Amino acid sequence: MLYTALLATAEQGVNAALRMDPAALPHLATISGLIVEIECTTPPWKLFVQVGDTGLRLAAHWEAEADVHLRTSARSLLHLALTRDKLAVLQGREVTLQGNRQALFELAAVLQNLELDWEYELSRWLGPLGGQLLGSSFKGQREWIGQSIASLYQMLADYLNEETRALVGQAEAQARFAELDDMNATLSRLEARIERLAQNPTPRAPE
Amino acid sequence: MTDFHNDRDAERSTHFGYQSVPESQKAQKVAEVFHSVAAKYDLMNDLMSAGIHRLWKRITIELSGARVGNRILDIAGGTGDLTRQFSRIVGPTGEVVLADINASMLEVGRDRLLDKGVSGNIRFVQADAEKLPFPDNHFDVVTIAFGLRNVTHKEDALRSMLRVLKPGGRLLVLEFSKPTNALLSRAYDVYSFNILPTMGKLITQDADSYRYLAESIRMHPDQETLKAMMSEAGFERVTYHNMTGGIVALHRGIKP
Repeated sequence: MLYTALLATAEQGVNAALRMDPAALPHLATISGLIVEIECTTPPWKLFVQVGDTGLRLAAHWEAEADVHLRTSARSLLHLALTRDKLAVLQGREVTLQGNRQALFELAAVLQNLELDWEYELSRWLGPLGGQLLGSSFKGQREWIGQSIASLYQMLADYLNEETRALVGQAEAQARFAELDDMNATLSRLEARIERLAQNPTPRAPE
Repeated sequence: MTDFHNDRDAERSTHFGYQSVPESQKAQKVAEVFHSVAAKYDLMNDLMSAGIHRLWKRITIELSGARVGNRILDIAGGTGDLTRQFSRIVGPTGEVVLADINASMLEVGRDRLLDKGVSGNIRFVQADAEKLPFPDNHFDVVTIAFGLRNVTHKEDALRSMLRVLKPGGRLLVLEFSKPTNALLSRAYDVYSFNILPTMGKLITQDADSYRYLAESIRMHPDQETLKAMMSEAGFERVTYHNMTGGIVALHRGIKP
């Protein structure tokens, strides 16, 4: 019952997110009826996902036979849930797939290309003007936070490189790497020459 | 000869909660209860079960094995909780029939589903579970959630459900049952006979209907008895799952 309650809550969250992308539900409608059985090997548990044109249904059990069976570890499932490139994980060696793979790839494509239209959702609650104002404000704040993080990162790198000399600067590192590459090439040539000399130990007599 | 006539003419009695009433009156009395509570049925369900009835119904759907294109009968479908979910699952190529003997409940269910934009693959039928007006071998799944205890002749209803199911089709009976733990059973009795009628009085101004609910649950066959009744009616592989300590049980049987 607890697992069912958790799945019901998760389902509501997933479907709310799907409704916020205007392209997601029409894409899901093309694979409506698909049943995916997800089997986690370590720790062992199962989850069924049924695709519908109004969203996904998550279930702990499903009596009907699944169309596609996905088997992998919890680590891989977590990676699949969090990564943007879900298709790469599905095609990886850690994941075993049986059944209608193409439909599963289509489902993964819908989820990985999800773009949430926050402004539309806000405008439903606050009206077009309020939604636009709040959306712009959020967008501005997000950009400001992004720029601040990038700036902080740059300042920290400069401080560690230039002020404390705790780290080697990028230009210096590149120069050292170039020297190492040259040295490596010289050593390779020397090694090849020694090998050639070892194969012909007696020098030819001058004619 | 006279005795034979007397036996035939004397009407058999049945239970209506803890009361004994003539069989012909039970359906009318049950109908009065549901006419009275129909408008606030959903609100009361949420309050009485603290929303857990949604999880019981969710598990019923998971164990139904329904899929795209199936034809499903939701008997005593009331306000359409199961029908709405099944409608999503079977899609436009399938069909869900919401059947209820009570016109008020059917009306509330129909309005509620239409308000939620659920239509197209749903039919609404006012029907008696004992005499289902459908052809033989017609449905892939038949469900009856919190309805069987109100049926006068449960054996007849089970046989009727068997008839309309396709071979291999599944019947799911979700119904209140007997708690498996003695302590839980005592707490449940206190809740049912004291708190429930008070809630009914406050919200629907009808304590009697909710007293009937508590009594009808106690008069309903327990898990093993209902399992035996389903087997007797002709179902195979009959199993049941207790939920919330046996307060509710989900019985499932397959038509051979």
